[in-house]
Parts: sequence; C-alpha cells; structure tokens
Amino acid sequence: MTPDLDPMILAIFLPLFGAIAAFMLPRAAAVIGLVTLAMTTGAVFWLAQRVLATGAVIVPLGGWGAPLGIDLRADGLSVAMLLLTSAVGFLVSVAALDSLKGADQARQRQYFWPLWLLLLTGMNGVYLSTDIFNLYVMIEVIALAAVGLTVLSGTKAALRAGLEYMYASILGALLFLMGVGFVYMQAGQLDFAGLIAAEPSAAMSAALALMIVGLLLKTALFPLHFWLPAAHANATAPASALLSGLVVKAALYIFLRLTTYMPLPDEILITLIGALGAGAVLWGGVQALRAERLKLLVAWSTVVQIGLIFIAFARAGQVGLAESWKAAALLILAHGVAKAAMFLAAGRIKDEIGHDRIRDLDRAPVRPTLAQFTFALAAISLIGLPPSLGFIGKWSLMEGAMSAGYWHWVVITMIGTLMSVAYFSRVLSAFLRFDRVRAPVGEHQGWALADAAPLTLALTAIGLGLMAAPILRFIEIGYPFGAAL
Amino acid sequence: MTDPLVIFDLLLALAIVALAVAALSVRDLYAMIVVFVIFGLLSALAWVRLSAPDVALAEAAIGTGVTGALLLKTLHHLRFASGQRSVSMTPTIPVPTGVMLANAAFCGLITLGLAVAFLGAPSAGPGFDTLVAESMPASGVDHPVTGVLLNFRAYDTLMEVVVLLAAVVAVWQIERGLSDAPAPEMGEVWQGFARLALPAIVVVGTYLLWVGAEAPGGAFQGGAVLAAVGLLLLLTRAYVPQPHHRGIARGAFVLGTGVFALVALLVAGGGRVAFEYPLDHAKTLILLIEGMVTISIAVTLAALFHGREPVALRMEDRHDT
Repeated sequence: MTPDLDPMILAIFLPLFGAIAAFMLPRAAAVIGLVTLAMTTGAVFWLAQRVLATGAVIVPLGGWGAPLGIDLRADGLSVAMLLLTSAVGFLVSVAALDSLKGADQARQRQYFWPLWLLLLTGMNGVYLSTDIFNLYVMIEVIALAAVGLTVLSGTKAALRAGLEYMYASILGALLFLMGVGFVYMQAGQLDFAGLIAAEPSAAMSAALALMIVGLLLKTALFPLHFWLPAAHANATAPASALLSGLVVKAALYIFLRLTTYMPLPDEILITLIGALGAGAVLWGGVQALRAERLKLLVAWSTVVQIGLIFIAFARAGQVGLAESWKAAALLILAHGVAKAAMFLAAGRIKDEIGHDRIRDLDRAPVRPTLAQFTFALAAISLIGLPPSLGFIGKWSLMEGAMSAGYWHWVVITMIGTLMSVAYFSRVLSAFLRFDRVRAPVGEHQGWALADAAPLTLALTAIGLGLMAAPILRFIEIGYPFGAAL
Repeated sequence: MTDPLVIFDLLLALAIVALAVAALSVRDLYAMIVVFVIFGLLSALAWVRLSAPDVALAEAAIGTGVTGALLLKTLHHLRFASGQRSVSMTPTIPVPTGVMLANAAFCGLITLGLAVAFLGAPSAGPGFDTLVAESMPASGVDHPVTGVLLNFRAYDTLMEVVVLLAAVVAVWQIERGLSDAPAPEMGEVWQGFARLALPAIVVVGTYLLWVGAEAPGGAFQGGAVLAAVGLLLLLTRAYVPQPHHRGIARGAFVLGTGVFALVALLVAGGGRVAFEYPLDHAKTLILLIEGMVTISIAVTLAALFHGREPVALRMEDRHDT
C-alpha cells in the first residue's frame, strides 16, 4: 500500500509525527524539530503551487464529505496563513537552537520541540479547517501547547502568567463551543457551506456572538487582553515570538472566516468591534509607553497591533466588508513576521546585556548592534513606515476608511502610529545613546550567528511590502467560499 | 404532565443548579470538591435522562471520577504547602470594585447571549440524525456514536487525543522546581481494597471499550475507568514511578495518537483519502484504534494524577508520589 500524499494532509500530519518523535527521542528533539519544520514548509509551498494553479482545493477526510464528514480546504488566505506559520516557525526554530543552548536549559530544550510541533499541528489544522466543531478541537490543541510554551522558562512569573493564560484560553474555547452548539441547533450543520445557507435570526446572531466573544478572548482584543502582556513577556524568547507572532493569529483567522461566511454582522456590531480595536490601540499604547521592560513593551505592542487589525476589519462598515478583510489579512501577515523578529531580537539583546530594563539599556557597555538593528527594522514595519508590509497594511486600512468617509478610524490609526513611534523611540534612543556608559563601549560585541534568523525575519517584514500586490492577488484565490465549490 | 419522570427531571434540574451554586459559594475547598463531585454525578444522571448514555459515562468517569481525584490531590498539595488542615479560598489581594463590575457586566452579557440563543433555538432542529442513520452500514460499526467518533468525524477524535497528549507533555515539562520540598505523601490505602477492586475495574474498563462498537461505551470511557487502576496502584504504592520508566511511559502516551494517525494515513491510496477505511476492515481497524487510544488515555490520566515527570531525585529518602 502506497499512501496517496496530499500536501494538506502532510501539513497537519508531519508536525504531528514530528512531535511524537521529538517527545520519544528527547536527545534528538532539535534535529527532528528542524527537519519537520523544513518538510512542513516544503509541503506548504507545494500546496501553494497547487492553489496557484487550480484555485481552492478540498480533501474530504474519510471520503464522506461535508456535512457528515470533515473537509479540509485550502484557498489563498489559508495558504497565506500556512506560509506565514511555517516560514516564521522555521526561522524561530533556528533561533531557538541558540537561545536554548544554556547548560541549565536541558529541560527546556527537551520540551520546546514537542510542544512547538503540537502547536504547529493545531495551527495548520485551523487554517485548513472548514468545520466549526473541528475548529474548536483545533483551538484546544493550540491552547494546551501554547500554555506549555508559556511556562517553559519555569519562573514563578511565567507560571502565574501561564495559569492566567490557560483560564482565559479555556473560557474562550468554552464560549466558542457553546456558540457552536447553538449554531448546530439552528442550522443542523457544522461546516461553512451549511452555515452560509443558514437563515439569519436573533438566536443565530446570539450564537455567533458567543463564538466571537470566545475568539476575542483568545486573540486578546481590548478589554479581553488582560492575560497577554504577562504571558508573552515572561516566556522564553522563541516561545514569545511564536505566541505573539503566530498563536494569536489563529483565533483572528477564525474570526475573519466566520464574519465572511455567516449571515452576521450588522453595522452596530462592526462599529463596536472597531471601537474595541480603538481602545486597544490607545490603552496598549499608553501601557507600552509606561512599560519598564523591553519584552513587556513588545508584548503591549501586540495588544496595539491586534486592535489595529480589528480597526482594519471595521474600517468601512458593513458595505466595505468584502474588501476590509484583505486589509486585516495584510496586517496579520505583517505583524506575524515583524513581531516574531522583534521578540527574537529582544531576547538576543537580553541575552547579551544580561537584563531588559529599558531605563538601563543605554548604560550597557555591551551593544549587540545586529540585534538592535533587527529590532529597529521590525519597529519600522510595526510603526508602518514604507516600504514595509506594515505600511501597506496600514495604508490600505486608511484608504478604505477614507473612501468610505469614516474619518474617525483614520484619526485613531494616526494617533496609534504616533504613539508607536513614541514607545519604540524609548528603546531606539537607548540603543543610540553612548554618553552614559563609563566603561569603553564594545560596540560590535555580541554579534552572533544567532542574529541571522531574526534579521532575516525583519528584512522579510520590510521586503514583503514590495510584494504587496501579488500577496493581495494570492489571498483572494478561492474567495468567496461558495463560489469555488 | 402525568408522567412522574417529569417531576424527577424537574427535581434533578433544580438539584444540579443548586449544587453548582453551592460549589461556587462554599469557602472550604474540601467541601467544594465534594459538592463538585456530587454535581458531576447528577449531571451524568441528567445526560442519561437526555438519552445520551455515552456522554453520561464520560461525565461520570472523566468529569467526576478522574477530575475529583485530581482536585483532591491538588488540595492535598495545598494543605501540605500551607501547613493547614483546612484551606479556604479567600483571596489574598482584594479585587478592585471596577474589575468586579466589569466582570459582572461581561458575565451578564454572556448570560443574555445564552438566553437569546437558547430561547430562539428550535426544540427539535435539523441535525445529522438521518444522515448518520443512512451512512451507518458503511461505517463498519453498529453504534451511531462510535460511527461518528471513529469514522465519520474520526479526524476530530484524533485531535481530541492529541489534546490529551499536549496536556501530558505540558504537565511533564513543568518542573516542580519552585520549591525543593518533596511531594507530600498521600494517605494510606488498604492493599486489600486494591486487590478486590483492581480486577473488577479492569473487567469493567475493557468491557466498556469492547462494547463501544454496538452500545454506549468506547475508548474515552473505558480509558478513564482503566485509569483508576493506575490511581490505585499509585496510591497503594504497589507501583512507584521510576526515572528509567520514562521511556515506556512516553511510548504509552503517544501510542494512541501514533497508531490512530498511522492508520488514517496508511488506508489512503488507490482512490481512497486519509481516514477512509476499507469497509471489510473497518471494524477491525476501528477496534485497533480504540484499543490503542484506550491504553494511552488510561496511562495519560494516571500520569496526570501522578503529576510530574519521574526524575532522578537527589536524596534517596524522598518519596516521589
């Protein structure tokens, strides 16, 4: 029997088998992890090629087909998310080799890989799923693996943050599940195709609202962001990069899918979501300005960026939804790449200097310039300066808002941008200031091969902006859902 | 309304709600756990009344049995750490009024959403029932729930098993290194009880697994019952986990996931996709998967009760329970 291989199956099963192998053979975990990541990335590229050639593709698992069985489906947006996940994941894995090399990190080395590969299984599963119950199961896989990664460092602060994260995550999943139950009662179906056809009613809207609140909790939209800063700031650097760059995107992606396919959102709800996003931008900005530690500042910037993505979604109200999701998707991709780079760079800086107190960064005689450069590049994309992908995302947000006459979203975005310039400047100015150091400054100390992965990510975040047009064309493949079936 | 069962149902529903309120309002943690266990048992009864015996079995075995044991063990650790007999859950830091109000508003909105969704839902909505009934002959098993779990939606079930694997990996990686104190010893369990109970548990667990193909039961329920074997062995110290057993334990954790995933992949080919079992072998394959998954579930739940990776201890006299 030679099994028929399908890239979608591979994208889910390769990391699963990799996780099992890495768990069984702790000594070889790193090798297994890297090989698995490389192979998964290969499978995703294969899938991308297929989607480019033929449009959206479907695998009916078990041969039953929806609605009885579960279909895997890949279209432009799913493949874009898969590419983001596996490519960023691969580079973070390379960086993890270095940042987990300490003599006291044997356990972390051993457990990082199985947890991360299980996380990858869950995320790839989300991006290929077309079934809301299956999505629930997948976000449970993600939640447990992500909590494991949060507490990997074993510090008291990380454990406390991890526990809070787990409570928030489980509550979010539970709300999502209750919503799924009620949707099933109404529509009698769990797959997206069945949901598109479902009739809108008050009860249906309430069920959808439950699911969406669960997702907002998981993606940490203000004011449900309370768990995120501590969890992301206290994890080890590669785990932070994965959690902040990739994990929160899974719930965001489900949110985008649901709102595209469901007989949902009326104007009030969209405005409310935009308002929450505005709250995130402002509150997160203030907290980032006040943060005393570098990693905490970066974590608060994630809260801001999540808010921005929701503003992009709400930028042009109900009429604009058919276009707005693309602006949101661009920002998701941009943030994924840039934030992973920034967390890795922050971890490198902390490793070299020995602390990450922002106030004392300019007193350090050691200047890991390459890591600082990476941080600055990532900041450029997050602030939204051209030609980065972050700029394109922000630009398409504001363009859409302006053409719809929704100037308030433009104002909020501008304020958010100015605030992000301010809080990143706190860090960047400390990098550039030398007059507070008594000892001779070793300006080029702390260059290491370990900087290669974050630097590549940061350069990608800048460079992808030049490819924005093809990316936009790509994520439109197979949209909307019904048309491609 | 002459049906006496309606009165029973009403009383049951009231009791469940009352127990939930009691569990939330009791301050003493031990009392809280006891109330929670009773709550779980009555919930299981409610599932029986809702004609969902599979869910009832799972609720009784996992939601009440294993969870209760986990809670009691955690309480034991808390008592040991604080040195007090009774641990109450009075928060050490008072919660700000603003946060409380925000939480209350949030919960109110959720309740409102639940109410609207519930009241608007059709009492007997469309579902998969007819579709499942039509496809049962092609599933290889006779019990619809098993057909859905292990065939039609086997992918979901595989990922549920992965969730359990992720849980045990996450628990094993948490080092109890924060305090160097050894784990507190649990109380004694009479060996004679274990001798009497173990064979019975093994028979019941295996029966639940086996009968799953045509009647309520299956891997999750059977595995949870078999996990009780592990709990008893650990409590009676008939088995003390050793560092060199870790390899076997890891193997047992991944066995279910590994076999399930391998079968799902290997059946593909020749026009079939993953998870598409050939009809002639469907029942055999499903039983194979269920058997392996049962072993994994049992060992994983017992390991979760044990609570940590058995690592080499620095002092010989430390008990690693």
